[in-house]
Amino acid sequence: MSEGSIGKPLLRREDYRFLTGQGRYLDDIAFPGALHAHVLRSPHPHARIRRIDTAAAAKAPGVITIVTGRELSEWTTPLRMAPPIEGLKPVEFTTLPLDKVRFIGDPVACIVATNRYLAEDAAELIAVDYEELAPVTDMDSALAPGAPRVDDALDSNLVSHQTFSGGDPARRFAEAEVVVEATFRQHRQTHAPIETRGCCAVWDEGRRHLTMHIPNQVPHPYRTQLARRMRLSEGQVTVISPDVGGGFGQKIALYREELTVAALARALRRPVRWREDRTENLLAASQARENVAHTRVACDRDGRIRALELRLTEDFGAYCFYPANYLARVVAMILTGPYRIADYSYDVMVALTNKCGNGPMRAPMAMTSWIMDGTVEAVARKLGLDPIEVRRINMLAPSEYPYRMATGETLEDITPRETLEKAIEVFDLTAFRARQAADRARGVHRGVGVCCVVESTTYGSAFYKAAGIAGSGHEAGWVKVEPSGAVNASVGLMASGQGYETAFAQVVADGLGVDPEDVRIHIGNTDTAPYGMGSRGARGGTAGGSVLQVASHQLRDKMLAIAARLLSLNTSAELRLRGGKVQRQLGGAWQDAGLTVADIAHVAYLDPLRLPPGMEPGLEAHRAYDPPPMTYSNATHLCEAELDVRTGALALKRFIVVEDCGTVLNPLIVTGQQHGAVAMAISGVLLEEVVYDENGQNRSGSFADYLLATAVEIPPIEVIPMHTPNRKTATGSKGMSEGGVMGAIGAVMSAVNDALSPFGVVAEQQPLTPYYLRSLIRSAS
Amino acid sequence: MVDDPPPQTVTVSFRVNGVERRLSVDPRYALADVLRDELALTGLHLGCEQGVCGACTVLIDGEPAVSCLTLAVQAEGSDVRTIEHLSESAAGLGALEQSFLRHGAFQCGFCTPGFLVIGHYILDNGLAKDRETVRALLAGNICRCTGYEPIVDAILAVSTGANAAPQDAS
Repeated sequence: MSEGSIGKPLLRREDYRFLTGQGRYLDDIAFPGALHAHVLRSPHPHARIRRIDTAAAAKAPGVITIVTGRELSEWTTPLRMAPPIEGLKPVEFTTLPLDKVRFIGDPVACIVATNRYLAEDAAELIAVDYEELAPVTDMDSALAPGAPRVDDALDSNLVSHQTFSGGDPARRFAEAEVVVEATFRQHRQTHAPIETRGCCAVWDEGRRHLTMHIPNQVPHPYRTQLARRMRLSEGQVTVISPDVGGGFGQKIALYREELTVAALARALRRPVRWREDRTENLLAASQARENVAHTRVACDRDGRIRALELRLTEDFGAYCFYPANYLARVVAMILTGPYRIADYSYDVMVALTNKCGNGPMRAPMAMTSWIMDGTVEAVARKLGLDPIEVRRINMLAPSEYPYRMATGETLEDITPRETLEKAIEVFDLTAFRARQAADRARGVHRGVGVCCVVESTTYGSAFYKAAGIAGSGHEAGWVKVEPSGAVNASVGLMASGQGYETAFAQVVADGLGVDPEDVRIHIGNTDTAPYGMGSRGARGGTAGGSVLQVASHQLRDKMLAIAARLLSLNTSAELRLRGGKVQRQLGGAWQDAGLTVADIAHVAYLDPLRLPPGMEPGLEAHRAYDPPPMTYSNATHLCEAELDVRTGALALKRFIVVEDCGTVLNPLIVTGQQHGAVAMAISGVLLEEVVYDENGQNRSGSFADYLLATAVEIPPIEVIPMHTPNRKTATGSKGMSEGGVMGAIGAVMSAVNDALSPFGVVAEQQPLTPYYLRSLIRSAS
Repeated sequence: MVDDPPPQTVTVSFRVNGVERRLSVDPRYALADVLRDELALTGLHLGCEQGVCGACTVLIDGEPAVSCLTLAVQAEGSDVRTIEHLSESAAGLGALEQSFLRHGAFQCGFCTPGFLVIGHYILDNGLAKDRETVRALLAGNICRCTGYEPIVDAILAVSTGANAAPQDAS
């Protein structure tokens, strides 16, 4: 892009409000007359509800009403999660539990009072008579015969089971010179956005219309769900998302508390608001990532991989707000990544347990690159080869693209080799090895880790169709030039920190030929934004940016046609718009033609008889865009770590990311996303852990237990761009923001294993606590 | 509907952003709730109510405090400053705020008021000795979006005077 706005590091324009304490997050907004809801939650991981006695609580000061599963069953429909996917069992559950609670924190009753303090006081007066049941607290016991059933409607806790085989893995294993096995255990984590969940439901009885104020990444799909569950038409529901204080995938689903609040607002004919506190968020919002993967690889003695087999099991928690295979399937689908592996099979099982239900957490496929590169490293260890060399032997060469993976995914326009070589060069691996050897001799243990990431993003409609999943991947947008020449634009996404207001202003400005200063982006209100699929799966930049470019170009062409008419020209071929002004090419040079966007807009809206014959008045373009089934970006992550073998303390010294994300809409925003993704991964690998003990008690209900990384734990991160465009998206972008999580997880694990190599032990689980690392080192002696 | 008896309240007086206030509060109310709900100072946010995330940081008598674990009555007689006051300057955005903007030191913005307040404290007290020191001083504030480095950069840049004239959006 030469003179356009795309690719410029514009400072974010939404930022004035964030820098002056004037952001408007849900809890900051006053809703006059609103009542406050508070949720009573189960203290047991698994129990029948015998009786709920609310008599004393109902008389407490400030209490308006108290409701349980009974009222909600009248006011709302249950959630049925039953997409037609082979191996996936249909599940259904009510808005609030009627018969039993399935995890500690499961909502049981909802109190509405005049303020939050009084609502919480009243909750303590509710007496619930529970009959405790034996809980299942881990995936292995959940899948063992005779395990207590989490969902009584299912015949076991195995809620999803898919297998796949491509090529002829059995034959490759039979013929293999060497077979290597590896294990990867990822621990349970939770999204922990700094803003917890909350909402305010406003029911207008006169218009019979619900307005739901809620920080949410996908306002339109959310509206569709909300209307259906409330038995309202979509015309009776508006969803408005204010500023969102972080989502990371937690603010997508229609949660039971939110539906309860909406139903209460309608029943009471008063606005009702709710905000969970941090303990509730850690216990009961959504969780993620608890997976165990076993790989088996058949290879030659030179390290060439002939076949790969994956067995993956996920602990999905107690409730399915998403199809149970939804997260694990992506790991299985893209596992082979940048490597040439035609003979591949997987076996993926998902189990229900008495824990908070799972949801997609920034990079649901987070462990993919750790598993694949970790398996490559296991091969290298077994054969006494350099793991970088084994990567090189197996990695696709540029001439092999487009490459059809065994699972049917097509890789093209990616550059794993280039980013790998660049990362090694920047890091100076040779110098490091010398330093490492010298330091080892004096008892200081350093390690270098590498991870090659191929990140699936965007997810067009053709992907869902091929995967048998109902739903679309398209995005919608509109662009309007107003009579004054000001530009408004909208898209069906909702921001939670991605800087859309800036990046999309750049795209629209570039597409129209105006200054970004003159463009305003409006998102998050389902009445004004077009129906889109929302922000998830790293699709925003590609899907949203592309549709806005398409709409902007359409409007630009209309404006130039009007300009040609006004200039008495037969064609607009020699006209262009720059900075809001029409320019004409005369004798090889572009000159000011004396017309501005404002002039054109005035004619289009207020003097339409001067428009070209047959042209409609106004300047609006409303388009939809379906991206390719999948776009891929790639990166190589490289991490240097220092392990104190006496204490198990791990310090990350240096972190490099060499990335290819395609056309970059705004480099500042993209770099920010990369930093955030890497930091989230490091925090997860080193510190975070949702802990359920053997009794099903959640031991991580506060930030004193669920530890998030602070500025002290995150090393400097060098992001080196090596972007090449995707030739199939409108803007050339590829999507990014989750790959950083994938790569950092793999790179840190790899670095630790490199540091541990003199001890002959391998870290195969997370988190990498000092306790775990010490136990590994002790086991070596 | 229940007719509530009036709650038991206590009168507390303190200065907020330079203005004397005299409020009747329920003695168990947190300072954060009083500032946000009674005085509409919604810049500070409640991220944990456990004193760990720092999103509710204010300055009380010049020292940083987590307003979620401070009772309103504990603020009796003190001088409280919030982000709304600290971020103002005669020329629009203050120097630290401009530095945050330049360095991309925030994304969703929810934790930003807390980081700005502690950033002002660090700079006003000359504490930004070096990168490691600034990191340690930020350990009481959690950000889930940025990875912290741009925040450290932004604070150091003001401290060393490294920021040039504000960068135009062009």
